[in-house]
Amino acid sequence: MAEVVLKDVVKTYGSVYAVNNVSLTVADGEFVALVGPSGCGKTTTLNLVAGLIPMSGGDVMIGDRVVTDLDPKDRDIAMVFQNYALYPNKTVYKNLAFPLQMRKLPKDEIDRKVQAAAKVLDITHLLERKPRELSGGQQQRVALGRALVRDPKVFLMDEPLSNLDAKLRVQMRSEIKRFHQDLKATIIYVTHDQLEAVTMADKMAVMNGGFLQQYDTPANVFANPVNMFVAGFIGSPAMSLIPLTAVTRGTEVVLTSAEGWELPLSPANAKKALSAKSDKVVLGARHSTVRLHKTQVPGSVPGKVYTVEPTGDVTFAQIFVSSAILNISLGPTVQISPDESVFIEFDQERMHLFDGVTEMALKAV
Amino acid sequence: MTTLTHSARPSRPRRKPVDGWRWAGRIFLVLMLIYTVVPMAWMLITSLKGGFAAMMYPPQWIPAEPTLENYIRLLDPKDTIGQDFLRYFWNSLWVSTTTTILAVIVAVPAAYAFSRFRFPGRNFLFFAVLLRNMFPAVIFLVPLFILMRWLGLVNTHGSLILTYLTFGLPLAIWLLKGFYDNIPIQLEQAARIDGATRFQAFLLIVMPLSTPGIIATAIYSFIGAWNEFIYAATFLNKNEQMTLPVGIQRFFSENTTDWPGLMAASFMMSVPVVVLFLILQKYFVRALTEGAVKH
Repeated sequence: MAEVVLKDVVKTYGSVYAVNNVSLTVADGEFVALVGPSGCGKTTTLNLVAGLIPMSGGDVMIGDRVVTDLDPKDRDIAMVFQNYALYPNKTVYKNLAFPLQMRKLPKDEIDRKVQAAAKVLDITHLLERKPRELSGGQQQRVALGRALVRDPKVFLMDEPLSNLDAKLRVQMRSEIKRFHQDLKATIIYVTHDQLEAVTMADKMAVMNGGFLQQYDTPANVFANPVNMFVAGFIGSPAMSLIPLTAVTRGTEVVLTSAEGWELPLSPANAKKALSAKSDKVVLGARHSTVRLHKTQVPGSVPGKVYTVEPTGDVTFAQIFVSSAILNISLGPTVQISPDESVFIEFDQERMHLFDGVTEMALKAV
Repeated sequence: MTTLTHSARPSRPRRKPVDGWRWAGRIFLVLMLIYTVVPMAWMLITSLKGGFAAMMYPPQWIPAEPTLENYIRLLDPKDTIGQDFLRYFWNSLWVSTTTTILAVIVAVPAAYAFSRFRFPGRNFLFFAVLLRNMFPAVIFLVPLFILMRWLGLVNTHGSLILTYLTFGLPLAIWLLKGFYDNIPIQLEQAARIDGATRFQAFLLIVMPLSTPGIIATAIYSFIGAWNEFIYAATFLNKNEQMTLPVGIQRFFSENTTDWPGLMAASFMMSVPVVVLFLILQKYFVRALTEGAVKH
């Protein structure tokens, strides 16, 4: 295993920047998820690491080698594709043996390694089958087997679970995580599903529009999103973002809405709000950090219930607050109904404030 | 009534109402079948008759005295007609096979490049390739003849092979590109990551998967060259070089036509094509990439 370093990596198609100056370091044995919406450049970034497409700028290092100009075959990597990309005319055995044959290993060693990989993934009974005779989950295992049979420096995975049904996906998710723990493998894992990234990865790299937005542990990304995009992308339901205006009232700072209500800020939050480029400030709140009241309490703001979604142990509700929709979660015993007027209390310790112009998280200065 | 039967299930599927369109379709297909089979059958029947029986009116639908004499004559290297026929047959086989092999050798890399690589002028080139097939063949007859004369290829099989390639290649490239487009690029990427060079990935992974396409393309090229008449009639005027479609004309003479001989020759001309189809048809229907990727 080895560390992977991306340095100022750029990929352009004509005048379009698919990947724009991405730099990040994946430590030896680390599981990093590249996460972002469709078209954010995450798969392109992975293909650049693999060497499947030529780079427009920057460098990629695997271990202590610069691999920027090397063919994929010389990079000592393995890749699992979203559609598995099993060789359809070869049996499972030959699929697993192919990477070893290409490296001209002796026959008995190939057999030993294929059998070992098949045993790990519990596909020994499938070795003589063709890929089309396998179920989706089995194909997924074979694809994984073909990657691990060779003991590469890095595993690259391109949305390997997105073609599986929901139940199998959860199962394979824990298997891949286990696989990472057992092998201490360096893994770069592309997904559009932030839940996969949060649950599996040591670190996540959130991408949008070709730019790397934030690269940190899932807990830190969740707790301290650097901008409104990351805030809205990570977490389920997403963080709610309410555009407001910051106004100074004597010694204290309040956020005011177009409707006229005011939300006084704690001194720490007041400092943050004043550091904004203008008076436009966006309030961010995760569903679990707000409290719902039926009557007005000090520091609460008015809202109107939009929808109520009971899931059994938690009830999710969407509340109109000013011009935005606020996601909240409630205990199963709370009774509210659509169009009911309610009051929302924010947790000053755990609320997020963003600059309404730059969309960056505000910090106390 | 036993408790084992599922009473909720209807005992018998309900009869579908008669579908007029379905019946119209069936009648149409039967008519089409008659339209295509009857001439072939008539060809075969006539080829089994003697010269006199072939001219009888009303015609004999089933030959009273079927004979293989026409076939024996055509295949007899000592007979003058047999000599001619066998030479034409050999000429056709040579021209068509060479055309086919060359077409496949050129079309495979060309189609792959059109399918996989983005290069400047790609769309224009691909359109230009197809443009050739949008004009009737006759338009190119005179220009190509002049070109062949300039190249000194008139009265050689080379002139036909070159000409047939100008027809066959665009079609072959176009057909094969469709096949390559349907082979997921991830298969090659996987192979390249697994240690193959770009060429090895093509040779070891893509080529086997495109075998049905290559065979289909080869058959199209072969049939096109095998049946072609007008260029063969124009470029060649020596008897020993003629191909079958032209040579068969020689059964018509000024005063009489040897109908049974002509029909026997025609039948044997269609045999290679039919045999080719029967042997290779499984490649047309085999969905080889099934199970390669999840759609």
